[in-house]
Amino acid sequence: MKRGLLALVVAALVILPPFGQPYVLHVAIVVLVNVVYAQALYVIMRMGYLSFGHAGYIALGGYASALLATKLAVSPWVGFLAGGALAAVFAWALGAVTLKLRGIYFSLSVFAFAEVVNAVFRAFEFFGGPAGIAAVPRPALFGARLNTHLQFYYVVLVVALVSLVFLYRLQWTRFGFTLLALRTRETEALAESLGINAARHKTFAFVVSCFFCGLMGAVHVHYLRFVSPFVFTFFLSTDLMVYVMVGGLGSYWGPILGTVLLTGLGEQLFAAGYYKSLVYAVVLLIVILALPGGLISLSRLIGRGGLRGRAAPVDAIAAGER
Amino acid sequence: MEVYPHLLAQGLAIGVLTGILYVLVALGLTLIYGILHIVNFAHGEIYMLGAMGAFYCLVVFKLPFAATLAVILVASLLLGLVVERLVFRSLRGQWLQLVVASVGISLIIQSLGWIAFGIQEKNVPSFFTGVVSVLGVRLPKERLLAAAVGVVLVALLYVLVYRTKTGLAMRAIEEDEETARMLGVDADRVAALACAVGFVLAALAGAFVAPIYSLNPGMGLEAILMSFLIIIVGGLGSITGTVLAGLLVGVLQSVGAVLLGAEIAYGLVFVVMIVVLIVRPAGLLGRA
Amino acid sequence: MRRSMLAFSVLLTLTVGLAAAPTGAHAQKPFKIGAIVPVSGPAAAFGLGVQRGLELAAEDVGVFTVAGEKYKVDVVTYDTVYAPDKTVAAINRAVYNDGVKYGVIIGAGVHPPILPIIRETGFLDFAFAAAGRQITNPENPTAFRIMASSDQLYQTYTVEIAQKLGAKRIAFLGPNDELGKNDAKAIKTEVDKMKAKGVSFVAEEYYERGARDFGPALLRLIAQKPDIIDTDGSPTGSIALIAKQARELGYNGHFVNSTAVLEAKAISDIAGKAGDNIIALRIWANPPTKLYTELAERHQKKWGEAAPGTLWETYGAARWLIDTIVKVSTFDTKKVADALGNSSYASHPFGPASWGGEKAYGIKRQIVIPIPAAILKNGKWEPFDVRSGKFE
Repeated sequence: MKRGLLALVVAALVILPPFGQPYVLHVAIVVLVNVVYAQALYVIMRMGYLSFGHAGYIALGGYASALLATKLAVSPWVGFLAGGALAAVFAWALGAVTLKLRGIYFSLSVFAFAEVVNAVFRAFEFFGGPAGIAAVPRPALFGARLNTHLQFYYVVLVVALVSLVFLYRLQWTRFGFTLLALRTRETEALAESLGINAARHKTFAFVVSCFFCGLMGAVHVHYLRFVSPFVFTFFLSTDLMVYVMVGGLGSYWGPILGTVLLTGLGEQLFAAGYYKSLVYAVVLLIVILALPGGLISLSRLIGRGGLRGRAAPVDAIAAGER
Repeated sequence: MEVYPHLLAQGLAIGVLTGILYVLVALGLTLIYGILHIVNFAHGEIYMLGAMGAFYCLVVFKLPFAATLAVILVASLLLGLVVERLVFRSLRGQWLQLVVASVGISLIIQSLGWIAFGIQEKNVPSFFTGVVSVLGVRLPKERLLAAAVGVVLVALLYVLVYRTKTGLAMRAIEEDEETARMLGVDADRVAALACAVGFVLAALAGAFVAPIYSLNPGMGLEAILMSFLIIIVGGLGSITGTVLAGLLVGVLQSVGAVLLGAEIAYGLVFVVMIVVLIVRPAGLLGRA
Repeated sequence: MRRSMLAFSVLLTLTVGLAAAPTGAHAQKPFKIGAIVPVSGPAAAFGLGVQRGLELAAEDVGVFTVAGEKYKVDVVTYDTVYAPDKTVAAINRAVYNDGVKYGVIIGAGVHPPILPIIRETGFLDFAFAAAGRQITNPENPTAFRIMASSDQLYQTYTVEIAQKLGAKRIAFLGPNDELGKNDAKAIKTEVDKMKAKGVSFVAEEYYERGARDFGPALLRLIAQKPDIIDTDGSPTGSIALIAKQARELGYNGHFVNSTAVLEAKAISDIAGKAGDNIIALRIWANPPTKLYTELAERHQKKWGEAAPGTLWETYGAARWLIDTIVKVSTFDTKKVADALGNSSYASHPFGPASWGGEKAYGIKRQIVIPIPAAILKNGKWEPFDVRSGKFE
């Protein structure tokens, strides 16, 4: 059942868009971008690390590609990969230091990192300063720039699907399960005693997570054709965290569900910003207090195995379910 | 610059006063983390509520000062008890959910604040206006008052935590809750009390700092960011650490601005935070 | 299990409720004007002024006829919280989903990502953005700036204020964003023109938007003994605190501010006597027209507070727009933009209005209206000067 549903969804994502009007395509692009961000964040959240600064890695990827495209006329296709690579390199360098910190210390250190990244971009004219970088070009295919919503949608879709498949495989492999074992200091010690190199696992996961953030960040920037220190802020990091929590930490599909639902909900509330924050926060609290597994855990009410599929073991540890 | 020494002295003075304000604002957050190991993101919003409370009591309802203080004290105490009972207690032990829940609470309070209080900047009239001049250095009176309140509250907190039975109970459940319970400590009540006191500290900080600046529903965000900064540097859960870090940051910002310009000084503070995180991640005086 | 069911039902009701929220019905055909502005968060005052200005204009225009059909103005608000990504979402929704072709958009910092869409679709953008060759240029024929630009303001007033006050040392304290950085440059250019008379630019410092403690930034600035501190477009709360804290540190000179949203009462509440001698550009101490006063009174009555400065500028632009649409009898934005750009309007709340900027920007899309300056004394605005905003 699960495979069929998935195939249907992917088919719809590929076939339907040419019939959609540009606003729907815009929403689809934004949702796909956020789904990848959320899924990348989930990789390290299920490892027990809450990041308040993922926006910093996204920004690194975005700025890298924007600079390459505007200053050196590098093709955005290369820029996407460069963005991912830059974010990955920073993650690798900083991971060594920050992953040793647990709990809130890690969260605050990543937050500090993200703030510094934005502050640096704001301070120097080379990065465009507070005004940012405008006129970032779309990638070109066979000589033509992909300037319409529809054309770029397919770019986003391809990158998103590739990223999501990779992240799926990362989690449902022995490597992925090992990450679960590193959730707390105690379980990590236990894992190490069994011969698992915790630091290497954690660093690899962090690097991969940030790679996809940087990659999608670059794609995001080429969609907006603009980047500034006010695009990837602390509010984005908290939004992503809310999407993952509401969707549920118990399953790969949780973050996807959370992102799709909340972004969709958010679109209905365009008239005043604080109503959207209020609704998000209320939904978040309801889920945390009453639905600890997140919305994805409701699938258990639907049928045996539900949306998670029969073979998938329950990621209950990550969900903190009682 | 010809006036260098004088400027530095002025910078130092303002820095110390501002630093004590930061300490006052961060105190509640330190307590709640120190005893309950909960990072209370809603801290900034309680600060905002305290300031708004002072505005409505003093300016709109024209209550006398003592009554205002009583209202704020009681209201924040109750709010702390309610939040602890409804949200924090059921999530005990799950730090991830706790943090996210407190983020949710802060968003709710902030959103309601915008809706209820509107966009106009409000002001609580100062209790003292004017400037005291000491050896040519100008010290605004209302900041001196707020600093005095800060010092008093820090002292009271020390007394509470280190010299009372309740404080002993708090430290007990912080160190080893199981054993404390076994020895007859009502951990739930102590936790509730710790949370309530943290909320009260935040609200009082808001009320006393309010006359110095202007008020708007978004002021909680700056408060929480600054509080986090202080606490990262000083050490989560350490009162002394908070005091030291607050003064350090205040002086660094001020003297740094005199020497290098405000922009760079602002960045410098972040750099210090990162250096501390790398070299001593638990903070200057924190325990890991 | 019970808890989960309850939570699920609550969430379901919320979602259904929001999705099913009804929209208003229309007797005449709606003519939608978008307010793509911040109505929440720190910049909300600007956005609310726009929203309410459009609503008052809609009331006054009532039903109008274009090509034989009757229309009524429908104001649609999209809260941008002054964030670029939300502004992009807003313009996408407005243009592609809601069929909005005309709108007021606030913010220079949020314009770059939406300019391609404005160009492609010909959306007629009334921009509130102080800086900006990037918005008003020949590539964007449908983008109009409906407030005085920074260049315009500083060219009109910097020299004059310095001369009037006999000031010799000018300093700048602005927000640490592109507005602040650009305006510092603009002021320096103007001050340079007065070099021969012994006027010099002595210091510049920047503060973080939303900061409340300006002590650090002010310390060094005041040590340079300026006669005038230009505080750029600092909002009410900021300028009040800047003035208060500067006086505490011993500053006795004047301040200049260039934002239109400035409340005298709020400043004097927060800063007291320290607020005196703030010279505010774009603030009218004496109402320039009867219409201005009438709008102020209506706003006070309807919303219970003083009108933000963006109210009058938006009202004027909106009435002018609809006048033009009726004249050319079409909603085609390119045709309307053409006609609008070549027209002048006598009934703007500030006085006679026209468009300028051909020399500076390459196209006449910069509004030219009388620009006032007021000075705060004892908690009230007193007139300082009124000059024509002539801008080539």
